[in-house]
Amino acid sequence: MEQTLKPLAGQSEQSGSDEEGRPVVPCWSCQGPVGEGSLFCSTCKAVQPPGQLDHFARFGLPAEYDLESAVLDRHYFDCQRMLHPDRFAMRTPKERALSQQQSVCVNEAYETLKDPLKRADYLVHLRGAGVLPEGCTLVNDQELLTESMELREALADAESLEDVDALDQRATDDIRYCIDALSDVFRTDDLEGACRLTTRLKYLRKLSEECRHHRAKMDKRE
Amino acid sequence: MAYSEKVVEHYENPRNVGTMNKADPEVGTGLVGAPACGDVMKLQIQVSENGIIEDAKFKTFGCGSAIASSSLVTEWVKGKTLDEAATIRNSEIAEHLALPPVKIHCSVLAEDAIKAAVADYRTKNTDAKPEAAE
Repeated sequence: MEQTLKPLAGQSEQSGSDEEGRPVVPCWSCQGPVGEGSLFCSTCKAVQPPGQLDHFARFGLPAEYDLESAVLDRHYFDCQRMLHPDRFAMRTPKERALSQQQSVCVNEAYETLKDPLKRADYLVHLRGAGVLPEGCTLVNDQELLTESMELREALADAESLEDVDALDQRATDDIRYCIDALSDVFRTDDLEGACRLTTRLKYLRKLSEECRHHRAKMDKRE
Repeated sequence: MAYSEKVVEHYENPRNVGTMNKADPEVGTGLVGAPACGDVMKLQIQVSENGIIEDAKFKTFGCGSAIASSSLVTEWVKGKTLDEAATIRNSEIAEHLALPPVKIHCSVLAEDAIKAAVADYRTKNTDAKPEAAE
C-alpha cells in the first residue's frame, strides 16, 4: 500500500485531549479532567486506560459504514506512534502496562474497521443491539442459500482454470456490489437489509477463498 | 484439533452424496447454512406413499464435521417415518460423532436440514392430500 500518511506535526500532542462532548473523567495519575477515551491526560501527559469504547469512537470516528481507509489509517498510525513501546521505556510499569492495553484495543478496532465485512458485521451488532438478538447468525434466506449452493457446485465441477477464474470474477463483482449496497442500507438504517447483505458477503468471501484453493490444487496437478 | 475417527470415516467415505429432483413431489429438500463459516448444506429425502423415507441424499460444502453430520443423518433417516426423522436431535449426532464443543453447530445444521426437508415434503403434499399431512 502506498504511504499516504505524513506525521501530523503538532496534532499528535493535542489529539489525546480534544474533548468533543465526551464525558470527562479524572486522570488516574494527576486527577485532572480527561475526556473519556483519550489516550493521554492533557495536564500530566500520562497514558490513560483504554476504557469501554466502541471501535469507531476509539478513533474519534462517527459510527458509520462509509469510511475512507486513508482516514482510518491515519488515525491508526497516529495512535500507534503515540503508543510505541520506545516512548514508554523510561516510564513507570503502570504506564507501560496501560500503553500496551491501549495498543491492543487500537489494533483490534483497526482490524475490525478496515475490513468491509468485519466492519459491516460489527456495525450491525452495534446498531442492532437489542433489536436483532440473533444478529446475523441465522440463515433462512433460501434465495441466498440456493445461490451459494449453485456456485459451490459449479466450482466443485469446474474443470479448467477458466471456469474457476470466471467464478472468482463473479464473486469479486458480487462482493463489490454488496459493499456498495451495504453503504446504502446503513445510511438508511435498514438493519435487516444490512444483515442480509453481510451474510451474502460472507458466502461470497468463502466462494472466493475456495476458488483460490481450487486454483492452487489445479496448479499443483499441472 | 483432531477429528474423531467417526468423523474422518464419514469425511473420507461420505454416504449418499448426491442430488434429487427438487421438483419431484415425492422429494423433500432442506437447504440450510451457517454464515459464520460459509457452510451450506442440502439434505433431500424421497418419501413413499405411506410416509416412509426410502432414500436420502446430501450435498454439503463445509468442514469435516458438517459433512460427517449430514452424511450420518442420511444414513439414519432411511426407513424411518417422517415423524421419526423429525425427532432426530443434534445432541445425538454430536454424541455419535464425538464432536468437540466448537463443532456442535455442525450437528445443529444437520438437525435443521432434516427438519427443513420434512417440512418441505409436507408443504408440497398438503395441497394434494390434505389428510396425509396429519
